Parts: sequence; C-alpha cells; structure tokens
Amino acid sequence: MSAAVLPTSSGGRELSNPPSDGVSNLRFSNHSDHLLVSSWDKTVRLYDASANVLKGEFMHGGPVLDCCFHDDSSGFSASADNTVRRICQSEPSAWWVDSVLTLGKILVPTFCRMSHLDLKPWMEPASLDIIFVNSFRSMKLQPSLTLVPTSKDCEIAREKQMETLGWECRLRKVDRSSFPNMATGKDPKFTMHKSIPQATYSETLRMKGQVITGSWDKTLKCWDPRGASGPDRTLVGTYPQPERVYSLSLVGHRLVVATAGRHVNVYDLRNMSQPEQRRESSLKYQTRCVRCYPNGTGFALSSVEGRVAMEFFDLSEVGQSKKYAFKCHRKSEAGKDTVYPVNAIAFHPIYGTFATGGCDGYVNVWDGNNKKRLYQYSKYPTSVAALSFSRDGRLLAVASSYTFEEGDIAHEPDAIFVRNVNEVEVKPKPKALPAPPP
Amino acid sequence: MASLLSDQLLQMETTCGSLLYELQMIWDEVGESDAERDKLLLELEQECLEVYRRKVDQANRCRAQLRQAIADAEAELAAICSAMGERPVHIRQSNQKAGSLKEELKEIIPQLEEMRKRKNDRWNQFLEVIEQIRRISIEIRPAEYTPSKVAMDESDLSTRRLEELHRELQSLQKEKTERLKQVMDHLNTLNSLCLVLGIDFRQTVHEVHPTLDENEGSKNISNDTIESLVSAIQRLREVKIQRMQKLQDLATTMLELWNLMDTPVEEQQLFQNVTCNIAASEHEITEPNTLSMDFINYDKIYRRKTSVMQVEAEVLRLEQLKASKMKELVLKKKTELEELRRRTHLVEEASGETEFAIEVIEAGAIDPSLMLEQIEVRVSKVKEEAFSRKDILEKVEKWLAACNEESWLEEYNRDENRYSAVRGAHLTLKRAEKARALVNKIPAMVDALAAKITAWEKDRGIEFTYDGVRLLSMLEEYTIVRQEKEQERKRQRDQKRLQGQLITEQEALFGSKPSPSKPQSAKKIPRTSTGGSSRRLSLGGAVMHPPKPDLLHPKSTRCTKKAEDMGALSPARRGIDIAGLPVKKLSFNAMNAPCEAEMPRRPFAPLVHVNSIPSTPSQPNIMSTPSQPQNNDVEEENRTPKIMPISTPKTPATVPASMQMATTPAPTSCLVYEAAVTKAPLEEMEYSFEERRLAFYLTR
Repeated sequence: MSAAVLPTSSGGRELSNPPSDGVSNLRFSNHSDHLLVSSWDKTVRLYDASANVLKGEFMHGGPVLDCCFHDDSSGFSASADNTVRRICQSEPSAWWVDSVLTLGKILVPTFCRMSHLDLKPWMEPASLDIIFVNSFRSMKLQPSLTLVPTSKDCEIAREKQMETLGWECRLRKVDRSSFPNMATGKDPKFTMHKSIPQATYSETLRMKGQVITGSWDKTLKCWDPRGASGPDRTLVGTYPQPERVYSLSLVGHRLVVATAGRHVNVYDLRNMSQPEQRRESSLKYQTRCVRCYPNGTGFALSSVEGRVAMEFFDLSEVGQSKKYAFKCHRKSEAGKDTVYPVNAIAFHPIYGTFATGGCDGYVNVWDGNNKKRLYQYSKYPTSVAALSFSRDGRLLAVASSYTFEEGDIAHEPDAIFVRNVNEVEVKPKPKALPAPPP
Repeated sequence: MASLLSDQLLQMETTCGSLLYELQMIWDEVGESDAERDKLLLELEQECLEVYRRKVDQANRCRAQLRQAIADAEAELAAICSAMGERPVHIRQSNQKAGSLKEELKEIIPQLEEMRKRKNDRWNQFLEVIEQIRRISIEIRPAEYTPSKVAMDESDLSTRRLEELHRELQSLQKEKTERLKQVMDHLNTLNSLCLVLGIDFRQTVHEVHPTLDENEGSKNISNDTIESLVSAIQRLREVKIQRMQKLQDLATTMLELWNLMDTPVEEQQLFQNVTCNIAASEHEITEPNTLSMDFINYDKIYRRKTSVMQVEAEVLRLEQLKASKMKELVLKKKTELEELRRRTHLVEEASGETEFAIEVIEAGAIDPSLMLEQIEVRVSKVKEEAFSRKDILEKVEKWLAACNEESWLEEYNRDENRYSAVRGAHLTLKRAEKARALVNKIPAMVDALAAKITAWEKDRGIEFTYDGVRLLSMLEEYTIVRQEKEQERKRQRDQKRLQGQLITEQEALFGSKPSPSKPQSAKKIPRTSTGGSSRRLSLGGAVMHPPKPDLLHPKSTRCTKKAEDMGALSPARRGIDIAGLPVKKLSFNAMNAPCEAEMPRRPFAPLVHVNSIPSTPSQPNIMSTPSQPQNNDVEEENRTPKIMPISTPKTPATVPASMQMATTPAPTSCLVYEAAVTKAPLEEMEYSFEERRLAFYLTR
C-alpha cells in the first residue's frame, strides 16, 4: 500500500571482508571491476568486485577519509593523519604491497583541530595517467590514427583506452620507471587525428596526472606524484578556499569545490589562480556531495536536508533557467516527515542518469533531464555512505555504512554491496505521450 | 668275600676236624665204645642235617616272598596304568628277562613309585576339580546337590575323565556368571524402580536375600533368589504403573483445572515435574522419586520434587477451587464457544443457547460440571466443523476484503481531489492501483468460491451458512449487484460523454471552459456493490441475530469510517506540508532555524532569481500560494494513472515517479563572494558529519 514498502529483493552481492568501521568512500577502477574502499578503520581495501575477492589491504596512520584510483595498479588515499599517500602494487601478482609514497603533509591551522583531505584526482579517465608528456615538441599531428606499438602490453593498454574513452590523444610516452607493470617496451608513440590548439592541451597535459585535494584547513592543493621526492616538488599549488572543503568534483577542465558555509567555487584547471565562478549553494542547508555531469555542462549538489540541486555552468539567462532542485530521501509517516541527508551522488557513465544515496538507506536513480525518478532500490540496512558505478555502468557499488549523522549510536554493521544494474533501472525513459482523452 | 666265606668254611672244616680229633682223643682217653661213638656221631650228623633243612626252608620262604612282592608290584602297576588309562609298559618283558628275583624287584619298584606319584598327582587334580564343581553346584542349586553324584570313582583317573570334569566345571562356571549377571540386572532394575518409587532399595533387597544387600562378597544366585527377585521387580513395576497412572490422571485433571481457572504459571511451575510426565510411558519415567508416596516437601534435596500425595492434595485443592468457580468456568467456556462460532461464522441453534443459560446453574437445576461437559462437547464439535469450513472461510475473507477494497475504490473514484499533489497522494494512488487489480479478480474469486461451496454442500448434504445466511445466496446477490453496478457505470459514462459535448458547445459559445468537475459532485452516489449490500452481506449474521451486535459492530464502523478518513486525511497532510518539515533530529536544524515556508511550487518551473538579496532564505516567498492547487501539472498528473500500465505491487519502483520539486529556498545565482564570507562568522560554526566523527574519534 505504501510507497515505502518496496520489493525486498536483495541489495546485491555483499562483499566479504568488509571494513570494520564506517566506509568513507568507494570507487570503481576505470580499467576493471576493481573497487577501492577507504574506511574509518584506517584501511584502504582493494576488492575485485565481480569475483568478490579482497585483493589487498593497506593500513594507514589514521582514518582514511577518501581514496581514488590512479590506474588499475595504484591509487591515492587521504587520511586523517594529514597525509596524502600514493599506494601501489610493487609487482604484477601482488597487490597493494607496502609501496607507499607520502605525497605531502597538510598543515593544520591551529583554530581547526580537525583536518580532512578530500581527494579527487582528475577524474577524466585518461587523465589518471601512467603517461605524461615527454617528447611533446617532437609530436606530429597526423590526420589519421597510426599506432606504432613497440610493446604488446602498451598496445593493449593504449587500445583499451582509446576504445573506451574516445580520447583526444597526443604523443605520449609510457614512463617505465614509475609503472613497471605497464611499460615493458621502448617509448611507444601514438598519434591520433584530433588536432586541438596547442595552448589548451599543453595546459591540460600539464595538469594531467595531478592529484587535487581539498582540506578542512580551507585550502585546495594540487600534487604531482611524479615529481621528484620531497614535498616541495610534489606540491604544485595551494589555493585558499572560503571555508572547509567538503566535496570536490571534476569534469573536463572544470573543478567544482563545495565547502562549508554553502560556498561553491568553480575552477578552470588551466587557470587555478582565481575561481572561475563563485556561487552559493542553491540549497539552504549544508552541502553533502557535489558531482559534475558526465557531459560537462553542470553539476549536481546534495544537501543534508534531503534535497538535490541540479546546476549548470552556463551563466547565461537561458542556461540558468534550466536549473532546479528536488526533494528526495524523505519519509512521511503518520503525518510526520523525516528528512534524511543525501550522502552520495553517482552518475551513470553511459546514460548520464544518476543515483543518490541517503541516510534513509535508500538508493534512488534519477533521470535529470526528464525530471523523473527511474528506480528505487530496496532499502539498505543503514545509511548509504557512498556510491560508485563501474566503468561500463553494469555494476553499482553501494556502501551501506552509518555516516555518524546522529553521533555515536549503535548501528547496523558496515557493508559493501555490489549490485548488477539493469538497463531498465538506469536508462532514461522516453517522455510520456500526452494523455489521450478519457 | 667269597674267599672270605670259603676261608670261614675252611676254618670251620678245620675247626670241625680238630673238634672231631679232639673228640676222638677225648673218647680214646675216656675209652668210649665204638657203638657209643657211632651213636654220638649219628646224633651229630642228624643235628647238622636239621640245621641245614631249616636254613633251606627259610631260604625257600624268602624266595616265595620275593616272588609275591614282585607280583604285587606288577599288579599294582598294572592297576595304576589301567586307572590312568595308560598302557602297561614292561611287565611281561621283565619276566622273560633272565635275572634274579631281587634284580627284578629292584627294577620294578622305582617304576611303581613313579606311577604312584603320577597317580597321586592326578588324584589331586581330580579332587580339586571336583571340589570346585561341588562348590558351584551348591551355590547354584543347593537343594539338588547330591554328593554321591560327584563322589569319586578312583578306578577311573584317565585324562578323558579329567577333561570331562573340567568341561562340567566350565559349564557350571558359565552358568554361575550368567546367573550373577542376571541377578545384577535384576538388582539394577530393582534399584531404579525403588528410586522412582521412593522405596529403600537395601531393605527391599535384604528381604529377597540377605546376601544381595552386601556390596562385596558373593551374592546368592540360586534359582530361588532369582525367582524372588523377579517377583519383587514385578511387584514394584505394578506399583509403579499403578502410581504412574494415578499421577497421570491427576496431572491431566490438574492441567484441565489450570486451563479452566487460568492458574498462574508460578503456581504451575511447582508441579512441572509431574505434568511433564503426563504423556510418558512406564519406562520413560526414570527420575528419582517421581512416584514417591511420601511427603518430602521439607527435604531440601527433593524440594522441587512432588510426591503423588502432594499432587493429589493439589488436585483436591483445585477441584474445590473449581467447584467454587464453576459459574465463572461455565461462562468462560461459553464465551469460548461463542468466540469460536463467531470466528467461523457459524450460528448456533436457538435451543443451544438457552441450554447453557447461567440462570439455570444459579437456580441449581443443572449440575454445573455436567453443563461444562456439554459445553465442551459442543466446543469440540464446533472445532471439527470449523476445520472443515476453514478452507472456504479463508476464501470468503479474501473475497470480503476485496469487496471492501472495491467499495473504497468507488469512494475514491468519486473524490475530485484525488490527484492533487498532496502529501501521501502517491500512497492512495498506489492503493487505488492495487485495488483495481484486486477488483478485476473478484469475479474469478466468486466463481471459485461458489464451486467450492457447492462441492462442500454436496459432500455434507447441508447448506454452507455464513453468519446464518447461506453463502451461495450471498454470492448470487453480490453478482447481481455487481451487474447492476456495471450498467449504472455504463449509463454514467454515456452521461459524461453527453456532458462533454455540452461543454464543447458552451465553449464554442462563450469561449471559456467551465470546470468539468462541478456537475459530478460526490453527492450523487450510485448504488455500489459494497457500500450497501456487501456490508449487509458481511453483517448478515448481525442482522439476523441482534443479541450480539457488539461483536460485529466495530467491524462495520471501521468499514464506514475508512472512507471518511481517506477524505479527511489529505487536507490535514496539506497542512503539515505547509507548516514545515521536522528535519530529522539534526543539530543544524537549530542553526538554520527559520521556518521553511515552503509552498508547492509549480513543478519544472525555473527557480526564481533573487540576485540582489543574498543569504536570506527566509525571505517571504513570492511563489504561488497553496490555494492554487490546480495547475497544469495536476492535470497532467490526473491522467497518468490511466495511461500508465498499472504496475504490479512487486515492481512499483520501475514506474518513473516525478521528482518532488518544491521551492529551493535560497537564491541560486552567483553571489558576491565577500557578502557570504562576512556573513559566515556571525553564524554558529557548522560541522559536517565527518568532522564530528573525527572529533569523536580523537577524543575516544
């Protein structure tokens, strides 16, 4: 009878060996079904989500607040011990052995006892790079794609990337020293047909492979993990923010930074000195999560008060008229409404629809263009802390983990579910035809 | 030696010669006559001869003795050999052998000695075995034992005989152990019986035979003892069974009484060990003192154990209690019966009711216990009948529920505001969807039910009544009403079409569109299947049997009220929506306090830009007011249920639901950055969950 009662189908496969404390974030790899999970239990774990195998675990000095993949064999983590680390595999068979690179420490301002790093490397798939510009000047732009692989591994890797990404590519070189598993040949050269202004891609390329972190010390920092040892060299830039950074998201060259005090700053990565736009959240309450549309036209922003705002970068009258907000993750019981924070937003990589997860334990899938809810998954045991679609959008990882919204109380055990996503659940439906006369 | 002897003889001869010479000399001297001399010489010679003869006789006697000894020895040897079953070895041989008698004797004596010794040994063995046999025999059956039977026959000492005796001994020993085992078994059985019955085991055993009582030492295993043991066991077992039956009878009575009088559990607990054995068979009762006759309540060890006597006393007490409470009990049983009937929608015969009138008891006309029994009989009968009706009744319940839902749906369909975007509207929408699906299934349901009932009636030869009304006729009535309703609906549709034409005509004339909803207000209520008749159907029993409307009344009021509730609910919810949302116990609620004056915004309408006034979320809204619920969206929504396939309850989420888009309270355009910054310090510090969590983590 009530809409809240949904079919009690399973929430998907539950991963074995879940973290022993709250899940702070989880992300799928862009190359496989590997899942990286950071947790308050001071670990970063790597799962093979399709095989349900815990492939590796890495202990940290404090609770890990965020993590992301770099490539399939390495990633980054941000821990509450004020440290950004790169963690990677040391040999192809063994995952996540102890090769750790401390990228840098973050100075904690005295007035703020807590420090938090929100870590978002550049999420454009090809930018999580094992590749950086080496022989940039000598590159030739050719009208057609030619591949000159000298190593089979590289060829496969490159083909995969080109295939899956439709990627604008320039001449690159695989850096063997830092990524031994990937590069075995001599400098392979690839050329692709797309010609773009030099200034743009030189900037872009310069930025690629960097890690951007946002912190509760009211700064944004860019790190270059390839830099020579020493924090001075790896830290590329520090950009002050009006408030503590709560969430970051990146699409193309645009970086959206959501902070406390409902500030939203939009940066252009090519010019980080000033925010491109300074906005205030269109939601009245604290920002919980911000995620850019995959098509790069705007971003979705969720608040602690059961609401999601859909915003657009375009500042023109027409562009801004498209924006809207909607209520979700609420419960109406006996005339009393309960509003839950919206903790997570994840866009589907293919259809551009998105899933939201709230403290009510529900995951909803929305079609932002048609303003419809497409699907609601059955309730998870506790708050949905994080969501991530796999690279092909066929899997959805759901962290069912208490997010401390009501302080230190008893709660359901933390769990990670990986569910198969049906096309019907995420594919936008054609708009309803106008109703026929009765 | 020989030489010595011959020397002696020689000496004797010389001595004899010298003596003769001396004699002749003497004679010569004397001058003895020759005759005298001859006479004396003859005398001498005769004397000599006599001495010789004596010696020969003696020697002869000695030889005979020797021969006798040898013969004796040989005979004895032969006797021994034959007794021992051995072949006599060398008797004949020795005879043929040339040798003196003394040698022969010397040879035979050690043989004899040897044989004697062997015989002796054998004899001892026999004695030993026989002694054992004797002992065991005496133990087993002292009366039958005859010494003669075992008396020893010395003539037969063969090994065969010994083996026989050994075998006998073994069999006796086996018998003994078996008997011992049997006795021990009996003793164990006896012991357990005594334990259960609370009788002194030692004493019982002592009575059977004093030796059985002792822990060590041999026990008497004679037939008599065993027999008396068996009989003792038999006796005790009989006692046990008798007591057990008694106890079980008591326990059954007790349970019944408890049941009757709602005895508190604590009180029942006392007799737990009794009642738990109620269904046990004889050999299952093994707990010590379960069937003891004694009062051992004061004994600390057995404080929890209850004797038969106690149980008896308790039952007596309960019986008395029951007698005093009989009236209540009868009443209780009566209500139970009524409840049972009500549940199964059976109507009792009019006569049955008066039978159990309480006044009769008070008047003392009927023995209450008799009445109680009668009621119980009736209850069991009703239960049986209920069981046979259960299947159909379940179906009837389903059908009635469906009818209820149908009537609700009709009410709902008449509600003009049913599609307005009020809070909870989606719930009613969903219910309506379900109800439609259910209503579609009703005819099939009715058919199935009718078939079942016909089968039942044929089976039993009686009508299936539901609260006194024949169910089949109810179903028929329902079907008729439903058909009527269909026609009514059809008529209505026609009317509506006509009206639509009228409206378009009017539109053509006046250019405006009157609200099409007005003419069909809720006042015009067509006859519904459930509104009037169906309710009557379900209340049929109540109508016919006015004495118990209180049982059914709540149901009917609930039915009617439900529809009213639904109507009343929506405005109330609307009010709640306007009043603002109680945000889930979060502290930020206090910080961002201003009441959220949210109005239902036109969905999909763009957000209003308020460029000039930043960070004033509580600014009076210039949005639409709640008094304008009619907007294009509502109209669009109104139609959606019809064009959308009715989703099954299983996959409600696949139907795309519109987003709930209300006013986003804060201005959304780009802000002057500084304004926000200066505003911030004035507010209380806000923290995210993670910051709070880390603070907690660090303080922990």
